[in-house]
Amino acid sequence: MKQEILQITKNKVKEKLEKADQKIINLSLIVEKLQLKINELTELLKIISDQEYPSIDQILGIKDYCRFYLLEDKTKINTLNLKEEKDILKILNYNIGITVEKDVKEITNKLCENILELIDTKEKIDLKIDTLIKENYINLYNIATPKIACKMIEIAGSFERLSRYPASTIQLLGSEKSFFKALKFNKRTPKYGILYNHPLIINLTNKKKAKIARSLASKIALGLKADVEKKDISKDLINKIKTKISEINE
Amino acid sequence: MNKQIILKNQKIFTKNKLTEKVREWDPNRSKVAAGIKKGIMPNIKENDTVLYLGAAEGYTISYISDILTKGKVYGIDISPYSMQKLLILSENTENIIPILGDCNKPFEYEKMISEKFDYIIQDIAQKNQAEILIKNADLFLKEKGLALLSLKLSAISQKNHKKTIDDQINILRNKFKIINQKRLDPFEKNHMLILLEKK
Ligand SMILES: C[S@@+](CC[C@H](N)C(=O)[O-])C[C@H]1O[C@@H](n2cnc3c(N)ncnc32)[C@H](O)[C@@H]1O
Repeated sequence: MKQEILQITKNKVKEKLEKADQKIINLSLIVEKLQLKINELTELLKIISDQEYPSIDQILGIKDYCRFYLLEDKTKINTLNLKEEKDILKILNYNIGITVEKDVKEITNKLCENILELIDTKEKIDLKIDTLIKENYINLYNIATPKIACKMIEIAGSFERLSRYPASTIQLLGSEKSFFKALKFNKRTPKYGILYNHPLIINLTNKKKAKIARSLASKIALGLKADVEKKDISKDLINKIKTKISEINE
Repeated sequence: MNKQIILKNQKIFTKNKLTEKVREWDPNRSKVAAGIKKGIMPNIKENDTVLYLGAAEGYTISYISDILTKGKVYGIDISPYSMQKLLILSENTENIIPILGDCNKPFEYEKMISEKFDYIIQDIAQKNQAEILIKNADLFLKEKGLALLSLKLSAISQKNHKKTIDDQINILRNKFKIINQKRLDPFEKNHMLILLEKK
């Protein structure tokens, strides 16, 4: 009797934990924390590197900044293929040229390599998350974009739960905090959550944002239902949203 | 009081009858232990059967298991991560039976449970905590059976806790007689422990 229940429970746990959405949630958590670590380590690196090459960190992203820093012969900067090359050369020209002892330089270089390695790991995970969403939830992937899709699954806690949400909940997903605040202080409740970052919405005026967010949320809700049945109807849904946007813009 | 529970120097312990092992039961980690400190004593007898809703990784259940020398406890939780750990505990402990399930939908695990219980203990932070208890008590609690409910007030409403308690108690009165109720401070903030008897 107990043995039977144990077996059923084991099978269910295994099935649940091996599901794509749980993997996505875990990997996404790792990516978030990894990014924080990368930022932290970069701040440490800059304590020294910023004296050697001031202001370069304002121009380059972390990854290129590290690649630039590790380049031994800075006159060969063209080998890095940076679009910011001109600006960097300008700064290097003005640079008073603080030199760092060789043993210190070894340390900062090592730190730099560590950061690049973490960035590499993070990019690999990003890619894996992307693939998992694409393979399993193609409508959500195409309509919401992979980043927002991932965040939505994360907030809902599982794909199953997300797929049962009505459009109104999807529209507000991620705004829970500001939502409660608005209720508490009698402010107007927010009209959009993380959907606000969607490329089709982000550049609209506030008034239009709310309208499109509503339409987008309803299409995502439909897309999710289709994902449950493993049907791809995303093209059709995206076209409908685009029609809606052009209607509004008329 | 149950023979396996030992109170000594303001602390609570349970003794496992088979292994004779004595373990301290931390009221800061277990609402049932906090309840004992606060004077809500779940007078569980050695041959009682207990249904535990919101078993998590089984911290509290492991002590309930010590108390039930001739009885058993079913532990239900929705989280597969917690359940993985509860499974390991259950493999090593005869009288713990773990079920992965959503306590909002007791019909989904109904067929796995073929008996009625003397006790339901519930520790779930959800908006509809009272409703969950009623649903499960309907199916699984004996007539005059007891329920120990830990209410997490902030899970229900951010606003008026007094009103939250009244609302929940009103819902519970449909099915239960309220025997005792205590706030769990300082062990748990915003928690209320309620002992109920099925009508
Ligand atoms: C505070 S913990 C319980 C701790 C446990 N009682 C102890 O003292 O060891 C609450 C648990 O409720 C579970 N839970 C939340 N919603 C649930 C639901 N609808 N059905 C079953 N379990 C649920 C969570 O997964 C979590 O493990």
